[in-house]
Amino acid sequence: MFCRSLMAAATLAMSIAGAGAQAPDLSKYPDWSGQWRKFPGQGNQWDQAKPSGTRQEAPLTPEYQKIYEANLQDQKEGGQGIDPTGFCIPFGMPRMMTAVFPFDFVITPQTTYFISDYNMPRRIYTDGRDWPKEREPNFTGYSIGKWVDSDGDGKYDVLEAETRFIKGPRVFEGSGIPLHEDSATVIKERFYQDKENKDTLYIGITTIDNALTRPWTVTKKFRRDHKPIWYTYNCSEDNHHVVIGQENYFLSADGQLMPTKKNQQPPDLRYFK
Amino acid sequence: MIRKLIGATAFALALGVAGADAQIPDLSKYPDWSGQWRRPPGLGIQFDQTKPLGRGQQAPLTAEYQAIYEAGLADQAAGGQGTDPTYRCIPFGMPRMTSAIFPFEFLIQPHTTFILSDYNMPRRIHTDGRDFPAEFEPNFAGYSIGQWIDTDGDGKYDELRIETRGMRGPRSFEASGIPLHEDNETIVKERFYLDKNDKNVIYDEITTFDNALTRPWVVTKKYIRQVGPVVWFEQNCSEDNHQVLIGKENYFLGGDGLLMPTKKNQAPPDLKYFNLPRR
Repeated sequence: MFCRSLMAAATLAMSIAGAGAQAPDLSKYPDWSGQWRKFPGQGNQWDQAKPSGTRQEAPLTPEYQKIYEANLQDQKEGGQGIDPTGFCIPFGMPRMMTAVFPFDFVITPQTTYFISDYNMPRRIYTDGRDWPKEREPNFTGYSIGKWVDSDGDGKYDVLEAETRFIKGPRVFEGSGIPLHEDSATVIKERFYQDKENKDTLYIGITTIDNALTRPWTVTKKFRRDHKPIWYTYNCSEDNHHVVIGQENYFLSADGQLMPTKKNQQPPDLRYFK
Repeated sequence: MIRKLIGATAFALALGVAGADAQIPDLSKYPDWSGQWRRPPGLGIQFDQTKPLGRGQQAPLTAEYQAIYEAGLADQAAGGQGTDPTYRCIPFGMPRMTSAIFPFEFLIQPHTTFILSDYNMPRRIHTDGRDFPAEFEPNFAGYSIGQWIDTDGDGKYDELRIETRGMRGPRSFEASGIPLHEDNETIVKERFYLDKNDKNVIYDEITTFDNALTRPWVVTKKYIRQVGPVVWFEQNCSEDNHQVLIGKENYFLGGDGLLMPTKKNQAPPDLKYFNLPRR
């Protein structure tokens, strides 16, 4: 389960680690320091401009629209639908960019780090590497970025990133808008500050996925917080959802199994004498 | 989830940690700890790297906590998980996360040194001169304050000293379940420094103060910088975790997803909340 044939990725990453590396020159890079978070009142929907659920108007193929509708029905009956995060599966890309929890950036010439206290660190490689030929997928995927000086003032102001090799299951948001089970998703992002207000950051995100009839583009907006508090969240610590067989159950306050749906069968206990 | 963090906020505010007008960081005084660090080859996941896992660690436990540890070992021998909480995907927490079961890297910024791995949540070591907040919601990694030291007076920092408080439990030192006290008043002091003769070796001297111990427990861990190929790969404990706690019992989810006992003659879970017999 750990690392499989990763030789290509390993070779490409060789230049990152070096005992003789110098203190980096960061004078060309933007100041994205501090804590970034959603605006007050902003929910956790995928497209910030629309309400969560069917009103997102996700451009799903008929096949995946059916999967989505069945998931909504399951959620209505008390289930989790196809949102895997109830069982502490990571959000993964692109959903992690909803920033349910705050994040910060650490920019180095080789890598831009996207760090939050909920997701594993995301590394966007900006050292000029190409895609590895083989790569074990993970929820965050493998991201390659390029810094752009969009206004020609000699300083970078836009980070363009592309992400591939993402594993599933993943959905766009809590309502369960699905991504394709083939996990062939490609995500293209554009990070940039508001020109008038450096405490506002935009991330334009285009998702290319076989569950969609066309690339789905949304732009997310975040504000910089000058009073940062960081707090580690651990999904597993108090998670009451448990899957046994194909069924989702709930652990009650006394730790015992409870049904999540009306007339739900108890689990099969065939392995107990 | 965040409770009364006024103290932390005030300190962060006063020190201007995050600011739109922050300057480009000058990292010329800081050491080069870049790259990926790992345990030396062949080394296990015990807490004190120089001793074997388990009783061989000779942890200086109080009599009360030695008894808890022995009971945990007996439970593990019977098929249980003992006093190691991580089977439920509870984080390692401090100080166990320093065992570096998965590789890690340092990201040094003047105000914060991050320790990132692909298994634990990011660890932030605040080096901006702040003091510990008056109140802080504990978490597994704790709240770490660090200080950079120029030990040889050459004008460059070569040592990072850290103190960590505010940890939550349950935690154990290693998989054998060597326990920390349930009062969670642990304090961990660390000293990170490179080997003077080999810049690809770093040491972390770790001193744990805890009420489960009769004295501070000092161990020095060694890590090797990966100078060849570097691979980062995210690990997610929950994705394929077959352990499940129901009531006070630990069960196992078999290959078919059904519940299995973990101990001989273990009773099945109580199904009192189900009003239908299993068909």
